[in-house]
Amino acid sequence: MDVVLQVAVSGLAAGAVYGLVAVGHSLVYRLTGVVHFAFGELIALGVFATLFFAAGTAPVTSTSVSGGRFLLAVLGGLALVAAASAGSYWFAVQPYQLRGSTVGWVGASLALAFALRTLIVAIFDRPSYVFPDPLPFRGLGDDGFWHVGGATIQARSLFVIAVALALAGASAWILARTRFGRALEAVASDVEGARVVGLPVSRLVGLAFALAGVVAGLAAVVAAPSGAFNVDTAALLGLKGLAAAVAVRFALWTSFVAGIAFGLLEAGIANVSWAGPPYREVVPLALVLALLAARALREPEARAE
Amino acid sequence: MTATAAALAGAARDARRAWDVRATAGAAVVVVAAAAPIVVSSSRLEDLAAGLYLALAATGLALAVGVAGMPSLAQGAFMAVGALTAAQLRIHGGVPTLAAAVVGAVAAAGAGVVTGVGFVRLNRGLVAVSTWILAWLVALGLEAFPSVSGGAQGLLLPEGPSTTAHYELALALVALAALALVALARGPFGLRLAAARDRRAAAAALGVPVPRLRLTAFVASAAVGGLAGGLSVQLAGIADAASYGPYLSFKIFVAVLIGGAASAAGAFLGVVVLGLVSVAADAVGAVENVSSARFHPLLAAVLLLAVLALGGEGLLRAPRRHRLARAEAHPEARDTVSQGWLAGRALSKRYGDLVALEGLDIDVPAGEIVALIGPNGSGKTTALRLLAGTEHPDAGTVESEGRLARTLQATATFGELTAVEHLLVASAGARRHGGLARTLLATPKARAEEAGATARAHEVLERFGLGAGGDTPASQLSGADQRLLMIAAASATGAAVLLLDEPSAGAAHAEVDRLARVLAGLRDEGLAILVVEHNLRLVRTVAARVVALDAGRVIARGTPEQVGADPAVRGAYLGSQTL
Repeated sequence: MDVVLQVAVSGLAAGAVYGLVAVGHSLVYRLTGVVHFAFGELIALGVFATLFFAAGTAPVTSTSVSGGRFLLAVLGGLALVAAASAGSYWFAVQPYQLRGSTVGWVGASLALAFALRTLIVAIFDRPSYVFPDPLPFRGLGDDGFWHVGGATIQARSLFVIAVALALAGASAWILARTRFGRALEAVASDVEGARVVGLPVSRLVGLAFALAGVVAGLAAVVAAPSGAFNVDTAALLGLKGLAAAVAVRFALWTSFVAGIAFGLLEAGIANVSWAGPPYREVVPLALVLALLAARALREPEARAE
Repeated sequence: MTATAAALAGAARDARRAWDVRATAGAAVVVVAAAAPIVVSSSRLEDLAAGLYLALAATGLALAVGVAGMPSLAQGAFMAVGALTAAQLRIHGGVPTLAAAVVGAVAAAGAGVVTGVGFVRLNRGLVAVSTWILAWLVALGLEAFPSVSGGAQGLLLPEGPSTTAHYELALALVALAALALVALARGPFGLRLAAARDRRAAAAALGVPVPRLRLTAFVASAAVGGLAGGLSVQLAGIADAASYGPYLSFKIFVAVLIGGAASAAGAFLGVVVLGLVSVAADAVGAVENVSSARFHPLLAAVLLLAVLALGGEGLLRAPRRHRLARAEAHPEARDTVSQGWLAGRALSKRYGDLVALEGLDIDVPAGEIVALIGPNGSGKTTALRLLAGTEHPDAGTVESEGRLARTLQATATFGELTAVEHLLVASAGARRHGGLARTLLATPKARAEEAGATARAHEVLERFGLGAGGDTPASQLSGADQRLLMIAAASATGAAVLLLDEPSAGAAHAEVDRLARVLAGLRDEGLAILVVEHNLRLVRTVAARVVALDAGRVIARGTPEQVGADPAVRGAYLGSQTL
């Protein structure tokens, strides 16, 4: 029972962030038919830009940044992610998407991923970083942890879950209720039709990339202080979000659920005696690959393309 | 004995004919490179040998990316499988160098089968996604299980062959891999993969076993990666798990694209370019006193973006295709027109609430042309799909005898292939000696069959009036010729039953007459032909019997005259045409 509670909280906290990344992947895929291989690195850009604006490149302790400066840093970081995300669409994805060149958009988005990664590592060259946390979670419980029965629960986790759910709700509201959201809906279901009725498709899709980047970036910033952080942490966020999204065929909100399931699965595997931490990331990814393969084998060849 | 001599002489003649500037350049590079150990220092030589093993892995990947059109991003993972298998065998089994590397290649091939069997059926974007997840999965697995990978310390291997031996072996293997790639790309295996790459549905309609060929290419590519991994790890003397991350897969993919995925030497050239750029960067870094190694991914990324911006074809373009000279058709391999027929009984199909087809009975006997007519949306194409077996009926049965081939409604030629190659793609299914291994070894039977198939392809083109355009890319033919070409290809499969979906779509009067002559010729050879047609002029000219559909139901059947006079048919066509 205690294990279940611990798994549920830590799995939900990680999974909710994966879920938001997965929704970003699905939004991008629904609009363009393209998979954004640099999504994780764009998230890394957001997190490290926030860190840079908040504390420069010097080592920080988790409490050394004031709330006001941190808030400004977050805004700066997110603005950068929004610009880079939209730019990545206009300059790296769209030219190849229009030509129908799969190798083009795969190559260009991967190239962007490695370029971003190199630049970030060039500035932040230590193996991993502690991210400042302006909120006083360490004052709660036993240095930020509660012991409930035999379970250990990080107080931050509940905050991460709450923020992620709020972000999911806000994104759902934007996509369902605003003119921007309905225009995206139109683009996703019929690009040509959307063009004919005069929607600025290219600009809309660029903005959707920015939205996906900002939402996932903010979730990553909120989660970052919970543990050590480096470029790979963010790249893995992008990869796990992609795995969750592809597992449910890029269905927009099912992707969020799939991300949460991915997180719970990881936490569960890490906490059961017959598996353990080494299997935590490997097993869910292998399961997604098996699912993809099984689905491809079951579908008739004629429908494959 | 004399037969062997003749076969060897023939092979030598073909090799001489195929020899061109590229071959000379390639041979010169190999000869000069083979002499490098005389002048190059030992540590430099180790770098060069490592680069050659990387080029070997990249040449293997070029088969999947260039020939088969699958953007695989997991070549580094297959290298890792080969490397760790070989390393464990060397350390714990005392297995000799080459044997360990070969077992490593087999292990990688096994991993290729397990993953590829599903992956090769995905579309290109999802091939990239799934192989990228695989690349990460292997990297994370190596990190998580230090007992397998040696962890941060790595696995120390026992002393093996000298650096020079490694270098010469690597060079020979790269040259062999490039030659194999040329042979495969030109042979029936590569042609069919190229057809499936350009138009998957049209290739499948011609009977090309797309998943099986792609899986073969994927597994061969993985095996070469595994071999390269199994040898390079012994060159390095240590298995370092961290060096098999996703970046390795990316780097190999970039090398293939920089050099040109369509060219055999492209992967090698790509590795050379990446290596030179890294060396230049290191030289600049040494002057500026910064470590430049961590900027290598950025350089690879920038090079890739530049290549893509220039059109993505890479430095070396696809060579102009060389074909074996036309030869006498091999007596064994002559066309035997097989007799066949096709029959559908009470076929029904629904899509949700829409009744696409209801209770269709149709017979297509040998030596007869049957036409299926009806307005748009009347269920003609559905009927064709059910009869061809690409979709299953909700009710009813399809029976047939003899091989079946189909053409698609849209003009769907394999753009980069020539007209002759289209027919070779189609006829490859009936060949017995055109597989991967026989093509690679160019066995006498395979060569004779190749010559015979080429000769017959030219014959068929002549018969269809396409003889003049035999060696031009199909995309440069006129629309009418492209449609005729696909019918020629369907007949070249050796099929006894042809299903043709609107062969006259958009054709002018004169072209319709030409088409009618061609179809009548095929009928007289004994083929059973079903045409779905809008053009009633063509139907009246060639069809013995006509089945008219409207809203999924048969509204009339009989001779063209009977059906043409039927008021229901006239009503369905709004009286706009008369037979």
